[in-house]
Amino acid sequence: MSLHEATTPAFRANARAALDNANLQAALRGSRGNFITKRARAREDLPEFDALRDRARDIKDHVLAHLDLYLEAYEAQVIASGGHVHWAETAEEARAIVLDLCRQAGAKAVNKGKTMISEECGINDFLAENGIAPVETDLGEYIIQLRGEVPSHIIAPAVHVTVPEIEAAFRKAHTHLDPDRDLSDLAALQAEARGVLREKYFQAEVGITGANMLIAETGHSVIVTNEGNGDLTQSLPRMHIVMASLEKIVPTLEDAATILRILGRSATGQEMSVYTTFSRGPRRPGDPDGPEEYHVVLLDNGRSNMLATPFQDMLRCIRCGACMNHCPVYQAVGGHAYGWVYPGPMGAVLTPSLIGVEQGGQLPNASSFCGRCEEVCPVRIPLPGMMRSWREREFEKRLTPAAMRRGLGLWAFAARRPRLYRIAARLGAGLLSRLGSKTGRIASLPFARGWTGERDLPAPQRGGTFMDRWKAARR
Amino acid sequence: MSGPHVALFVTCLVDMFRPSVAFATVKLLEDAGCRVEVPPVQTCCGQPAWNSGDRENAKAIARQVIAAFEGYAHVVVPSGSCAATIARDYERMFEADDPWAARARALGARTHEITAFLTDVLGVTEVGQKAPVSVTYHDSCSGLRSLGIREQPRRLLASVAGLELREMAENDVCCGFGGTFCVKYPDISNVMAGDKTRNIAATGADMVLAGDLGCLMNMAGKASREGRAFRARHVVEVLAGDLATPPIGEAG
Amino acid sequence: MSARARILDRIRAAAAPGDRQATVAAWMAAPGGGPLPHQATSHGAQRLTQFMQKLDAAAATVGRVSALAELPKALAHELRKRKLPARIRFGDDPVFAGLDWGTIGTSRGPGRIEEPATLSRAEFGLAETGTLVLASGPDNPVTLTFLGETHFVLLREADLCGGFEDFWTAWRERGLDPRTLNMVTGPSRSADVGQVLQLGAHGPVALHVFLLS
Repeated sequence: MSLHEATTPAFRANARAALDNANLQAALRGSRGNFITKRARAREDLPEFDALRDRARDIKDHVLAHLDLYLEAYEAQVIASGGHVHWAETAEEARAIVLDLCRQAGAKAVNKGKTMISEECGINDFLAENGIAPVETDLGEYIIQLRGEVPSHIIAPAVHVTVPEIEAAFRKAHTHLDPDRDLSDLAALQAEARGVLREKYFQAEVGITGANMLIAETGHSVIVTNEGNGDLTQSLPRMHIVMASLEKIVPTLEDAATILRILGRSATGQEMSVYTTFSRGPRRPGDPDGPEEYHVVLLDNGRSNMLATPFQDMLRCIRCGACMNHCPVYQAVGGHAYGWVYPGPMGAVLTPSLIGVEQGGQLPNASSFCGRCEEVCPVRIPLPGMMRSWREREFEKRLTPAAMRRGLGLWAFAARRPRLYRIAARLGAGLLSRLGSKTGRIASLPFARGWTGERDLPAPQRGGTFMDRWKAARR
Repeated sequence: MSGPHVALFVTCLVDMFRPSVAFATVKLLEDAGCRVEVPPVQTCCGQPAWNSGDRENAKAIARQVIAAFEGYAHVVVPSGSCAATIARDYERMFEADDPWAARARALGARTHEITAFLTDVLGVTEVGQKAPVSVTYHDSCSGLRSLGIREQPRRLLASVAGLELREMAENDVCCGFGGTFCVKYPDISNVMAGDKTRNIAATGADMVLAGDLGCLMNMAGKASREGRAFRARHVVEVLAGDLATPPIGEAG
Repeated sequence: MSARARILDRIRAAAAPGDRQATVAAWMAAPGGGPLPHQATSHGAQRLTQFMQKLDAAAATVGRVSALAELPKALAHELRKRKLPARIRFGDDPVFAGLDWGTIGTSRGPGRIEEPATLSRAEFGLAETGTLVLASGPDNPVTLTFLGETHFVLLREADLCGGFEDFWTAWRERGLDPRTLNMVTGPSRSADVGQVLQLGAHGPVALHVFLLS
């Protein structure tokens, strides 16, 4: 699956296929609720949690209002510590920068810690096309790389894969191991991946990681992981490349602490993830390990165009995944149905911003606006409101499907004329009431298959509309 | 009567599909001493237009509702979703310097969902009804998350003699209705509805109650297609003692 | 015009008017200002207890050592208990260099591909979350933190902080500038296989802390 061919316009078909995929459904059902319970417990255990969310929101808003200044301050610190900063306006530019750096390092293999920005830029396919082997080291990313897939979740990339599927992928890929080996338990699977990847850590010339934060005060890039793969990825090769988008900046170390206090709790319910690593520059003179070169690729790719628009608040996102963990639509269809890099509610808002509403417009429509995402968002992004704003843009650009526009137009015409509306309601209620007079419900309606395909339509009560009955009774 | 002057916003679904919900709402309000009027200039709150990105029609309908309802002390709605549209969204539809924004804000401040109005505004603690039934309560999303309605219906239900409340798993998870969502994405909506009816059935309760007819029609329609045994009613029917009216999706 | 200039120009074009330089300077000059969680404010014996409880919650183990000279004996005991070979690898930290390691075979240097046990010294600990803070460098090579099957860490009780707030202050005062500052909260883990949490994903399977009074 190539990353750049967004299948977002086919969301409906993707969703149907996902619902019919028994393995996917088993995987989704298996994980459902885990994240929710753990986050809820972590929140209960920290009375200041919601106040910290407010503070985190304020920090990010402050950064976005002064982003140019913080980027310059950050860049100066990276340079002062012996690192390099490369600015990329587009994914193409970022790819070219990374390839150039890899070639400078004489890289044949590149190890990768988990980075969604690299997914956004399609680094893996690009490096492979250019003769450099990318090796994903996050266990979940490794699994999906073997399966030729992309992540279906921003923090649990292989959440859609069942254990038997993992075993099959390992048997297919790890042909150097005994074909009769026992992989019947989870521990054996994890141990095998650990063994295979341990070798690879020592072979790559370049390590690419993402960044959860970039700290303007110090020039640190920060990664947060549980496995430790990001640390081996950046500490063993001779070059460390950080791929990060502009909005990852936070001003100070204290501000980073505020974000850390809500990040792990919102993501996995952990007070702290196992490894939080602050990296600054290359290895120091006399250091026996660590990279000799440190490069940061700062990616814009449409983000600066989101400033001062109704979608600016989306740039507060800290990529915890809580919105998708709590989203009933995501939980029903999984992340791949969304058809581009970012799934779930955050993806439904971000995707149209980055690839255009013409391509990504399905996503903000595929929401019941239940509001659970906004309720749990650690930086209080008004996700449903922003999805609604996208629908408005679509409507203005006349991208809303014609049938929908016609139906809406007809309904609104009546709704703006109460007397006409009364008559229409009376006729409609009478007709539907007669259709369902025997059972009280209607099993099939030709013009409402969307409703009656899988559920009955309760018929209107007999005796007319409320407005008619009220008028008759009271006057 | 000298109690508060209340305008009932019926909602389009209640008007057309289940007038008994509006009659039960009127009864609860009158029992609590309110003078209830039903302004004739009302159709729908405009939420379908607003949530579909059709701001112009949404604003036109909002202006119509604001003009028709601003003369009353309170506006009461038997739906958390429609109440939230009036109370929260109307103001957002207009530019800040548009005079309608201030009128929308003023109306929003006086607009309430029925169970919240009874408990929070009128201080009702008892409805004086008897109903020997076991029920489970679905928290409809807009009411829960936009208006913070959660305890109010439960407090009132607790005052119904003989009624047993059995909470379901995931009672705060969307049932898959979501307004136009259920017909725009019927496949996904159906899965969500199926999860909901399974959770309801697992409680063994006689009926599911909720404060929004849209969600109720979705849950009842799914349950009847699946042949589930539980019934579905709007919470006000139970609170007003109307168990004689056939449940949602059943013939009398 | 460079990509850098174009990006910065777009950001500036979207910015609200006002003395933004001064706002940024003021923010940077007074770091902090967020809510202070109660759990980050422990003191004295309570801080120690909290730290040990949080280590336990993070699936790490902890033992106390009354004097530095006791460390080899305590380590030997832990290695035996865990059925690990009597070998340890650590860096050039002078704290370790001066000790008599007795029967334990020692080696110096960064992490290697197979290493049953490694030892590092943490600069600080955070009672708030049971977190160890390590500074990379010749004394404590960063790879020792990730390449040992079992990672042992020495922490002086005096270096234990309540939480992030006093930690950052202490960190700045110590004036270190390592390539990496590693916060470690328990042993490595992953839930990527079947969404079931397992320890020892890439890094250590076990983490043991020696708290030095």
